[in-house]
Amino acid sequence: MSQQEEWKDVVPIPQDDGKNPVCPIAYTDEYREMTDYFRAVMASGEVSQRALKLSGRVIDANAAHYTAWVYRKKLVLDLGVDISEELAWVAEISGRHIKNYQLWHHREALLELLLDPKQVALEPQDQRMRNPDIRRELQFIDRVIDQDSKNFHAWSHRQWVVRAYGLWDQEMAFVDTQINQDVRNNSAWNQRYFALTRNQAADAFVLTKEAADAEIAYVIDKIKLAPNNESPWSYILGLLLRHAPAMLYEDLLPSINALASDKNGALAVVSTPFYWSALVDIYEKQAEVLDAEQRDAVKGLAREACESLAEQYDPVRAKYWKYRKQELTAQ
Amino acid sequence: MDKSSEHNGSVGLLVDKHVEYVKSLDKRHDEIEYWMTEHLRISGVYWGAVSLHLLRKSDALRKDDIIDYVLRCQNADGGFGGHVGHDSHLLYTMSAIQLLVMYDALNRVNAGKVIGYVKSLQDETTGEVSGDVWGEKDTRFAYISLAIMSFFDAVDQLNVDGVVEYVRKAMNYDGGFGSGPGGESHAAQVFTCLAALAIAGRLDIVDRERLSGWLAERQQKSGGLNGRPQKLEDVCYSWWVLSSLNILARVHWVDCQKLCDYILSAQDVDNGGIADRPGDIADVYHTCFGIAGLSLAGYDKYSLAEVDPVYCMPLSVIKSAGLRKWVDKVPENWEH
Repeated sequence: MSQQEEWKDVVPIPQDDGKNPVCPIAYTDEYREMTDYFRAVMASGEVSQRALKLSGRVIDANAAHYTAWVYRKKLVLDLGVDISEELAWVAEISGRHIKNYQLWHHREALLELLLDPKQVALEPQDQRMRNPDIRRELQFIDRVIDQDSKNFHAWSHRQWVVRAYGLWDQEMAFVDTQINQDVRNNSAWNQRYFALTRNQAADAFVLTKEAADAEIAYVIDKIKLAPNNESPWSYILGLLLRHAPAMLYEDLLPSINALASDKNGALAVVSTPFYWSALVDIYEKQAEVLDAEQRDAVKGLAREACESLAEQYDPVRAKYWKYRKQELTAQ
Repeated sequence: MDKSSEHNGSVGLLVDKHVEYVKSLDKRHDEIEYWMTEHLRISGVYWGAVSLHLLRKSDALRKDDIIDYVLRCQNADGGFGGHVGHDSHLLYTMSAIQLLVMYDALNRVNAGKVIGYVKSLQDETTGEVSGDVWGEKDTRFAYISLAIMSFFDAVDQLNVDGVVEYVRKAMNYDGGFGSGPGGESHAAQVFTCLAALAIAGRLDIVDRERLSGWLAERQQKSGGLNGRPQKLEDVCYSWWVLSSLNILARVHWVDCQKLCDYILSAQDVDNGGIADRPGDIADVYHTCFGIAGLSLAGYDKYSLAEVDPVYCMPLSVIKSAGLRKWVDKVPENWEH
């Protein structure tokens, strides 16, 4: 850069590591040079196209350089950069920095500038879904999730987009596609809850009987595909515990029992820790509403399930299951 | 075959090697990772310092150098950057304050300035806390803001109810916590939420049974722990999961011996340091959380100093700073 006409007027500012640094840093020459110039640009508060370009180089070299992102956002605003172009730039570098926090936050801030959620909320939902900016964003997220289906940032950003622009109607279809692609993707199961409840507070969401039945059927179907998969078990137990606890033993239990006696897949199901663990949770809940005699019988079943887990199906957590068993005895 | 995979936990904890490894970190100028981590240098120093303290070798780094360095990372807004001359961020302000507390130098900063910085990042109405002036929100920042304030005995200067409400909204159907409302449960976010609630004295809102079960479920056949279902085990979750179970008084729900063996098997037996998993290259982050995990799982067996699960700092330091009081606010029937 020191040889370039464009940067002749700028005096680079070297990193100040102090005289006896605890941890002097070795910089490669190229990176050191660009950050020295960038430091000078920030120090003088320069707002220019070359500063924008330089911030892009620094970020692409080290996306975790959060100060560079902050300055870039200021440049985008002050220069009146076309937001769509800036989003395109983020998409271009995203493949190299897909787990970087700042990248996703920058995107969110840009979207808010481009499309005011309050304004968009006034439009009908199908119209919102046709909005080219929203479509582009969902496609961007799709591409990232295609490459890494459990990317924490991408899912969290998707939730932000769905929430900010009220895109609830289509979300369950997306979740279905994801679960069908990989039934073990816990991020997709989490999104299922998010979509079903529309992210309402746990005490505000009402789960109808029809919806709960549909979820039970859906989960049973997915457990058949891969019984030893924590996610659907955890999803349905959590959903019902929170929103319809009686359905655990009235509806879910018969479905699980049917699955466990199904001659084609019973063995695969009853040899998973999740099956036995679900029985413990369900019996424990059921015991709360039974009279003394029936309660003891159900608790006995739960204790037997704990024993099977400790001895056979989940020995690594034997101490946990022994504790659960003891609790079932004590109550 | 690579260096560490031919060894297993039976080599024991290589204390001297790890001390040398941490001390060598400032001499590795030719490694590309080194300059790429400039922006979080101060956290690197914190991870190294915690490792050394827990190994009972806190004097292996020069105290005065560390204090001088930390103070030079402070900015006019009262916050600290990840390195000298970098913008303030809550993450690095946390590392800076933790270092000053560990080296008994908290009185070297102007408390009011730091408190003012942390307060400036909280939305007083909603209680949500941002990581920096940029406004990124996350349950990590809920924890850090409370923790920093607690070092200055100034927790009540935040809208604590607001922080607690934000954390409550991030609680999921599986009992775990995500990075914000709706986010998937993740063991590191679980730690930040539990530690935040511990400092706020509001652990009562946690579904203790379900969360403990979910955390215990993170142990894999290898003995190692993962951070989410269907993900690979990683040594750093030894800390995030075990500290959470410790706060919940349920450490015994996982097989601690198998976990310790797993952590030890990820040691670099030649150059010291601990990697994310056996066979990978060691780094200071995994060294810190591996050692801290060992301390929680069996400090007496490995002659390690005890660690506090809320602050990830030596228990003795937390006690003398008067911060162990979070234990008194744990729900009574948790048998701490």
